Amino acid sequence: MPLFEGLGSGGEKTAVVVDLGAAYTKCGFAGETGPRFIIPSEIKRAGSPEAVRVVQYNINTEELYSILKEFVHLLYFRHLLVNPRDRRVVIVESVLCPSHFRETLSRVFFKHFEVPSVLFAPSHLMSVMTLGIQSALVMDCGYTETLIYEGVPILSAWEALPMGGKAIHRELHSLLSEQCTLDTDSGTGLSLRTVISNPTHTSQHTICLRTCFVSDLQRGMKIQEARFNLDGSAERPAPPPDVEYPLDGQKILHVKGAIRDSVAEMLFEQDNEEKSIATLLLDTLVKCPIDTRKVLSENLVIIGGTSMLPGFLHRLLSEIRSLVEKPKYRDALATKSFRIHSPPAKPNCTAWLGGAIFGALQDILGSRSVSRDYYSETGRIPDWCCLSTPLPDSVYEAGKMPPPLMKRAFSTEK
Amino acid sequence: MATLLQPEKVLYLVRGEKKIRVPLSQLYFCRYCSELRSLECVSHEVDSHFCPSCLENMPSAEAKLKKNRCANCFDCPCCMHTLSTRATNIPAPLPDDPTKTTMKKAYYLACGFCRWTSRDVGMADKSVASGGWQEPENPHTQRINKLIEYYQQLAQREKLERDRKKLARRRPFMPQAFSEKYGLGTRLQRQRSGAPISALYGLSLKEGEDQKEITIEPAQALDEVEPLPEDYYTRPVNLPEVTTLRQRLLQPDFQPAGASQLHPRHKHLLMKRSLRCRKCEHNLSKPEFNPTSIKFKIQLVATKSKFGVNINTAPKATTHSFPRQTLFTLSGLTITVLQCVLVPSKELVLSGKDAAAEYDELAEPQGFQDDPDVVAFRKSNKIGFFIKVVPQREEGDVTVAFKLRHDFRNLAAPIRPTEEGEATSEAIWLTHHVELSLGPLAT
Repeated sequence: MPLFEGLGSGGEKTAVVVDLGAAYTKCGFAGETGPRFIIPSEIKRAGSPEAVRVVQYNINTEELYSILKEFVHLLYFRHLLVNPRDRRVVIVESVLCPSHFRETLSRVFFKHFEVPSVLFAPSHLMSVMTLGIQSALVMDCGYTETLIYEGVPILSAWEALPMGGKAIHRELHSLLSEQCTLDTDSGTGLSLRTVISNPTHTSQHTICLRTCFVSDLQRGMKIQEARFNLDGSAERPAPPPDVEYPLDGQKILHVKGAIRDSVAEMLFEQDNEEKSIATLLLDTLVKCPIDTRKVLSENLVIIGGTSMLPGFLHRLLSEIRSLVEKPKYRDALATKSFRIHSPPAKPNCTAWLGGAIFGALQDILGSRSVSRDYYSETGRIPDWCCLSTPLPDSVYEAGKMPPPLMKRAFSTEK
Repeated sequence: MATLLQPEKVLYLVRGEKKIRVPLSQLYFCRYCSELRSLECVSHEVDSHFCPSCLENMPSAEAKLKKNRCANCFDCPCCMHTLSTRATNIPAPLPDDPTKTTMKKAYYLACGFCRWTSRDVGMADKSVASGGWQEPENPHTQRINKLIEYYQQLAQREKLERDRKKLARRRPFMPQAFSEKYGLGTRLQRQRSGAPISALYGLSLKEGEDQKEITIEPAQALDEVEPLPEDYYTRPVNLPEVTTLRQRLLQPDFQPAGASQLHPRHKHLLMKRSLRCRKCEHNLSKPEFNPTSIKFKIQLVATKSKFGVNINTAPKATTHSFPRQTLFTLSGLTITVLQCVLVPSKELVLSGKDAAAEYDELAEPQGFQDDPDVVAFRKSNKIGFFIKVVPQREEGDVTVAFKLRHDFRNLAAPIRPTEEGEATSEAIWLTHHVELSLGPLAT
């Protein structure tokens, strides 16, 4: 990075870029190559022993406001160490985020922290910015859901599946409680439930991370068959070795080998609607216009923390390639070549990096953000699903076409 | 005093964006607005940065350059403790005479808590005690910088076009009647802020411009991804070698899976905060610059403003119907207690705070005539008075709320000179809503 840039070229300070995820939040400054901090999206309160999750969509506004306020306060004053009033904010967010959450978040930023402007950037579009290509099919395997999207967004062709890291953890937790034993000072061979009623998020994440992996296609199919075992003849392939996992120093959890590879299988199992992560991709391709399909299928981008499981990408590609041969897709999709990009960042930071690149474009960041004045005038932020916001200038050339009368009826501007 | 160890007993109501009840020790008093302020209704600002282990102040410009990290101190990548530099003697050949060897000092980093050393990750020992250790660089830095330059060029182009369009519209090529009829003139000129992100890709680089063009190769997609190695399924997991999630996330650029790639990072700085009243923009709290000093340059905390209510003795309230007497201590200036349950309705007069009188044990009683039913004792600027409380319910905690009104002499020097030439500042009357919790009812 050029040395003078740190001192603020042109007088404007670098923007703050925040990616609020369901499990982890990435925060840092624009123009840098990676986030400064990746912290869990939760806050600790004096009242409850467990941490309170920040990204919750079902709680009432007041509670959400105070949680978000505390969290953003921590972000600024413990991790970023800057004044909120000086710097613009870029928030990288999922398109499926409810409007009520976005509005509360912008209220926290504008009213309480008095930032100069806020920009809500869709995470999928930002990931494509890190590659320098025109269009791509982006799949975000995050914590709560897996979501697909195209750059130059074809909004009608998005797909989502509520299957992500959280589902894996739940599965892991239930398998561990049923099958594994625990050794503590008081005795050996105790079942998990008697000792720990509710293992914390971080310990579950860590157990999953260190011991589990995704097997390749043949092995995976065999494991799935053995699980459902309809004819009783399917044999399970030999499980990987067991792991003795120490918790808290005194307790040792015996993780059975069979758990290690079967936990991730649920992402690829096809449920009753025959939906799995791989079919998600193919369904999206089917929904897209025909001439874009080849370009999109050769430009796949996978982001999100769940995709960092060892063996995930390889398994995904092989699943897609085998599913394309199935009758459902063979006629619909003519293209058979699939290629995956590797962005210049880890998959869980790719969307953040795109936001940082965009935030470094000081010429246009100001005009594309929601400024504090606009917010105090209208009290709302524009949303892609909301019709009352007028369309941008570039849509209407000067003097050629007046805005349709209907638009003015809905518009709140004078 | 009941309130020293249990501050939640006496709460003050602060009217900010929402009403909050906070003990006095957590409040600030803005003497320009003459109001109580809580942490929620002041704006926080970063004042100065310092390293928590070497306690060295760092000016803001340097902090920004070093990415808010100390230059000298390191964190252990395994347990996040502070690393210490250790020295050993290693034999090294003399530069003049290769046959003879002398002892040279070599330094390495070691953690006193988890016994991690810099030699575990393969970092060579350095010959200088500090300043020799470097953090590894992100391999993608070049590519990202190129991408940023490319997009900045597109952004510049967009800005030029936008400016050109703005200028173009101001030209009166549209007849005046037309624009008035449809009201277009002002609408199209106004900036559309908050527009959804339309692609920057609409501006292609094919339009030739006289500037030097920066092109980047678009990223190449891969056909094949590396599969898991064959022995992954059968190899036993060596848990100490696999990093935990927390260790990985501390290094967002690399996120190594193996513990042999965990490099130490410089220690993150902490900051001192200054508080500012949102209404009048005056500083309420400004700490000293020196990290080792706990004093403040400006400290307008509410406890210093010399008014406050403490519960002195609260006998266990029972459910008898006649009122019980509880003793309250009040320190401050003249007060009037309004609007309460059986409270003294007269104005209570207190003397002003005299710092020297604290040390004078044989203080003469001031000439105040106190009604013994109302006032229990009087000492320098404190007064104890009785409030009779009647519990309204059979069970539960007893809470008493009353409004405390007192006059307050603002001792801040007036900024604008008074025209009438008054020597003393005027006393203003302040009202506080106080809530006292007296504890559960004894059965």
